[in-house]
Amino acid sequence: MWFYILRRLLYNVPVYLGIIFFMMLALRVNDPIWAFLGKNASREQYEAFAAKAGLDRPFLSQYARFLADLATLNFSAESWDQPGKSARDLLLAAIVPSLAITIPALILTSLVSIAIGLAAAHFRGRWVDRALMIAAVLGMSISVLVYIVLGQYFGAFWLKKHFGWSPFEIAGYEPGLSSWSTYCLLPVLISVAVAMGYDTRFYRAVMVEECGRDYITTARAKGAGAGKVLFVHMLKNAMIPIITNIMITLPFLIGGEILMEVYFNIPGMGRRLLTAIVAKDFPVVQVFTAMFAALFILTNILTDILYAIFDPRVRLS
Amino acid sequence: MKLLIVLVTCLVMAPSLAAVDLKVLQLPIRSDGPKSIDPVKGSTVYDNEAVCQVYETLLQYKYLARPPALEPLLLSGMPELAADGLTYRFQLKKGGRFHDDPCFPGGQGRELAPADVFYSWKRMADNGNLPKSWWLFEDTIAGFDEYRDAQNQAAAGGGKFDYGAPVKGFRALNDREFEVELKRPVQRFLWILAMFQTAIVPREAVEKYGPRFGRHPVGTGPFTLKEEDWVPGKSLVVNRNPHYHECFYPKEHMPEDEEFGFHLPAGARLPIADRIEYTFFVQDQPMWLQFQAGKLGYIQVPAEYFSQAFNKRTRKLLPALKKEGIAGHAVPLLDFIFRGFNMEDPLLGGYTPEKKSLRQAICLALDWEEQNDSFYNGINIIYDGPVPPGLEGHPRDGKGPVSYRGPDLERARQFLAKAGYPEGKGLPVIDYYSSLEANGKEQAEMLTRQLVKIGVRINARLSDFSTLIEAITKKKALFFSFAWSSDYPDGENNLALFYGPNESPGSNHFNYKNPEYDLLYKKIQTMPPSEERTRLYEKMRDMVIEDAPFAGSMARTRFYLVNPWLKNFKPTEDFSNWSKYLDVDDSKRKR
Repeated sequence: MWFYILRRLLYNVPVYLGIIFFMMLALRVNDPIWAFLGKNASREQYEAFAAKAGLDRPFLSQYARFLADLATLNFSAESWDQPGKSARDLLLAAIVPSLAITIPALILTSLVSIAIGLAAAHFRGRWVDRALMIAAVLGMSISVLVYIVLGQYFGAFWLKKHFGWSPFEIAGYEPGLSSWSTYCLLPVLISVAVAMGYDTRFYRAVMVEECGRDYITTARAKGAGAGKVLFVHMLKNAMIPIITNIMITLPFLIGGEILMEVYFNIPGMGRRLLTAIVAKDFPVVQVFTAMFAALFILTNILTDILYAIFDPRVRLS
Repeated sequence: MKLLIVLVTCLVMAPSLAAVDLKVLQLPIRSDGPKSIDPVKGSTVYDNEAVCQVYETLLQYKYLARPPALEPLLLSGMPELAADGLTYRFQLKKGGRFHDDPCFPGGQGRELAPADVFYSWKRMADNGNLPKSWWLFEDTIAGFDEYRDAQNQAAAGGGKFDYGAPVKGFRALNDREFEVELKRPVQRFLWILAMFQTAIVPREAVEKYGPRFGRHPVGTGPFTLKEEDWVPGKSLVVNRNPHYHECFYPKEHMPEDEEFGFHLPAGARLPIADRIEYTFFVQDQPMWLQFQAGKLGYIQVPAEYFSQAFNKRTRKLLPALKKEGIAGHAVPLLDFIFRGFNMEDPLLGGYTPEKKSLRQAICLALDWEEQNDSFYNGINIIYDGPVPPGLEGHPRDGKGPVSYRGPDLERARQFLAKAGYPEGKGLPVIDYYSSLEANGKEQAEMLTRQLVKIGVRINARLSDFSTLIEAITKKKALFFSFAWSSDYPDGENNLALFYGPNESPGSNHFNYKNPEYDLLYKKIQTMPPSEERTRLYEKMRDMVIEDAPFAGSMARTRFYLVNPWLKNFKPTEDFSNWSKYLDVDDSKRKR
């Protein structure tokens, strides 16, 4: 198993080096210094800035330097847009607010969607299945912006206006568990509502496929009850696609949910990256992009490892 | 025992009673917030809003006066101009002192001195600070440009930028008085002294906090800001400066101010509020709902919510909001929104009658009213020339004696024929450069449709804003969409956009060169406000309308709503240090 993990890690090293190389090239296609300094900057300012930022050195030297920084987790490059703050400061400050909405949203979405998927598969072809799938299609057909706008209006503003009380704030973020439900629960519920449509349909398809397999027939023939068939036999064998689906969402989990963070004033990773892009904050964009790429690759490796754990045939192949 | 209980009760209650008395305001900042609270690094309106809470300039705008006028802030009186017309004499106000901070001996803020003024301005010359607004001082103060070049060269060569080196035009006379000698008479100089980038900072704080200085402000302003009270991307909280120098609510006001009671607090000591809590909003919907819920003092009305606040036709506040005690204000902005031509382009540029006729034909084909109605709810102001409403040089009722404002398709076709392109025959497709941001694409489509009516075809080249700026500053854009917001309320600022030596990459993006115009511009730069100067402004305005290096013009109007609990808020976008005048009436808050 350890050899398998090591092999997967080694395979991905050149992939990551390539991603960083092309990412750094892409970020330099349009001169980031002119873009940041703007029209009133002089040539001398440009040169002083380039020297300070290390962008006057040859590209390969910048590449080597950045790789060294990544290898040592040194993200001390100063933000251009927020002088006095390093990319690391911004990264660390944004992680918790992002996770405060994405982790609960992922857990809730997965649990509810798997449960509904199981139920739909169990009652497949009957009105329960149809009703659930119509609801899922409806849910996924509505834009996330509609959920946000209506959620903020009715969930936070309207309730307060008409009943003098609402469990949610319109927008904002306060750290700490005590204020989590006030500021984060509404975006979490909206995220769940948005993601459930897709996930429910996916899990139902997986479960329906499993329903027709021989081992299910065998289990039923041996007298296993519906609960045991569903939750022990079927769920266990459906783990590979379930893991894939959950793992695919992990990098986005860390990346935050940009729309939620922007509309609910949550100072998370997605919003931070968006702000950095708009403000032409080159060091922050570079570090954040490299981090997301690393997370994506690590997630892929982790997915492979989980596959190997759940299905030993993967390891052998 | 009873006495003890009373004492304990008093002690327990004391903080909460004090808290009840605090005047706390909640205000929005319609962006992700400021980037740095270091005056020399700021350039946006949001930087300005944050900087003005903690730092101060030598002069400020009179809060209630319209049109804008200046008054002393950190000075005991307005600067006196010597007979040579070049030397200004300043006297610092007594009692103006920096906030208490560990950067000072004993943690106690000290009095402001002339050396602080010179140091703060020299920071603008230091390229190491990445100053965004050096152009404010460029070619203005005797010896300052030379000082800047020499020091930056020394710094680039591995030496240090020497803040102690003298500048010919800076002379300290004593602890409170100093003189500044200009290279040549420059009228805008006093306006510059009210701009936040020229605010005064203490050297001790800059040196102690280094790169953190932009997050750890130490100024003389009405409010103080602790580092931990600024959460980037979320909020910023400022507290009353207990040692703020003597400043009072203005006694002079405009007649229309009485309707809103702006005149009532005359003579009150500033700042009035104890704390201001700013929340940053990137999206308008949560800001709009927070305002409706009574949690924000005021709001700039977003375009998509305009009809929920004002009658689209009359632009009057809706009765339902009036009933709730909400006040509405319209603030015309100092905007110059236009379509520009590159005067060096072989097709569209040039000064011969045929070349002028082609540009004039394009101007006459454009329908600015349609654009205003379609994209701005019809609330913008359309006018002739480059000088926005409210400033000298703006034509009466917006209509100049010389005008090529459309739509006048018949005249446009005549001019096009005069240019040698009857019905547009023989005229190549014109590349039109515009920003893709906001509704740039839709506006380009409307422009295409309007111009095709006279036979002029355009190819819209839409890009992000930085690419557009690059194309314009490198003179690649022959026909482009752009806008200019006045840096200070003087028509001279807009007329400078056509001054030959300011050609791209300077602010003259039209690359307009007219020797007669340039001579007049040099003349107005040195003239104090007078009827003669206004006449020259008008003459210059008519010259550029006739030569048509641009088609235009339009200025935005911003609409504000103010909740009944926020007092003394007279909206303006000319300056940002108005929060010290604000008050709160908690009895009028929504429960």
